[in-house]
Amino acid sequence: MRYAYYPGCSLAGSSRECEESIQATMRVLGVQWKELEDWNCCGSATATGISYLLSLALPARNLALAEQAESDLVTGCTRCYLNLIRAMHYIQHNANLRDNVNAVLAEAGVQYSGTARLRHILDVIINDVGLDVVAEKVTRPLDGLKVAAYYGCCQGMWTYAQFDSVEDPTCFDRLLAALGAEVVYYPLKTACCGGSLSMSKRSVGANLIGDLLAAAIAAEADCIVTACPMCMFNLNSFQAEAGRIKGRRFHLPVLFLTQLLGLAFGLPPKTLGLQRNIVPVDGILKKIAAGAPVPTREPVASGPK
Amino acid sequence: MEAQVCLTPRSEPVQIMKDPLGNSFEYCYQCGLCTASCRTSYAMKYTPRQVMNLLQLGCTDEAVAGGSGLLCTACYSCTFRCPRGVAVTDVMAAIQRRNLASKHADGDVRRFYRSFIRTVERHGRFHEAEFLARYFIPNPVLLTKEVGLGLKLLTKGKISLTPPTMKNPKAIAAMFRKAEEIEGRP
Repeated sequence: MRYAYYPGCSLAGSSRECEESIQATMRVLGVQWKELEDWNCCGSATATGISYLLSLALPARNLALAEQAESDLVTGCTRCYLNLIRAMHYIQHNANLRDNVNAVLAEAGVQYSGTARLRHILDVIINDVGLDVVAEKVTRPLDGLKVAAYYGCCQGMWTYAQFDSVEDPTCFDRLLAALGAEVVYYPLKTACCGGSLSMSKRSVGANLIGDLLAAAIAAEADCIVTACPMCMFNLNSFQAEAGRIKGRRFHLPVLFLTQLLGLAFGLPPKTLGLQRNIVPVDGILKKIAAGAPVPTREPVASGPK
Repeated sequence: MEAQVCLTPRSEPVQIMKDPLGNSFEYCYQCGLCTASCRTSYAMKYTPRQVMNLLQLGCTDEAVAGGSGLLCTACYSCTFRCPRGVAVTDVMAAIQRRNLASKHADGDVRRFYRSFIRTVERHGRFHEAEFLARYFIPNPVLLTKEVGLGLKLLTKGKISLTPPTMKNPKAIAAMFRKAEEIEGRP
């Protein structure tokens, strides 16, 4: 399988702890990819507020580049995934729109033909690598760690529809179970975190974040694990504001999926960018360290990027 | 703003929005599954279902003035679930574009969107530091509220001061111009 990796702006910037942990865990799993050359921003949640055509043409340029590279386009960001799959879907169903998008893309010297294949990093881990291989690489099982698997807001509905149930995805639960963690019942697992409302309408954004944190605490989770950098940023950064709205104090660690994966693989916390998490994760590290490690296997080979 | 009351049933489809999906509200039969799926509808003057209804009635200005588009997080739950195939999120986005283009738009919210997309137009990728400067500097009140978080992000190495490096960011700027040429301004 040839992969073109599309980090996107968040992973390349403010969510670099996610990126560091993605790279480290993919090396352990032997997934090799090339970064998509000269990728651009997918438009995030803001391009639709400026221009409908641009909100499709920006992701379409990345799809066109992946077609040129004859590779599956892999992303670790749920928002990027959503924008890319939305562009694919809308363009496929509207010939006029395809002409317009290609007219815009011509300015950048590329054309989108509609043959690109899009993959989410969870999809690659579960369906290409396989949970049996993941389980083999576990040297520090997460026994006794209670985890709320947060699928990364309702954007997930579009994302997970490609490789899991739309309304009740379970791929994340299965992955965490393979690491030995106890996945708690988390009814808000596909509820939206508010996206950029945390910045543009704080009172509403922080209220949604408060609901998510409260539900995880009610389920007695030690931490929330998310597969989306935006949710990761929101749930980490605005716990104080969410607490003010809900009339309580929140202090719940929120980890990115590959950070927890890396800990189960026995990778050092720094390699996984855990020192960058806004809510400190010391309690989680202690809890994992207290568990008995699996007898040492041969050292993990580090493959090429 | 006074509601623009126009209750005559229409015999022809109403073409109100510039994008085709923005007009899909025509199919809505008012079941309310969109509003039930929406996590921010509680804060909206008009819920998504009500927005669809206002548009069907031709009360476009009122639907826009309600400002619901600015509370849409684009999670697509409503669009996914709609039994009539209405692209609710895209209708809301069409409203949002009108909100942001309006003179009455909240300056901070408008600057949030514009600042974000402007860094993409300039660099081809989002540039946090430039975004923060464009967004916060014009409003010192906002800046003082967020300075704590900003410092935390900086010390954790999460904000890069150097701009992202795309090989050919000019190509992206050209795409912006072409899109505007085809679509016109919202």
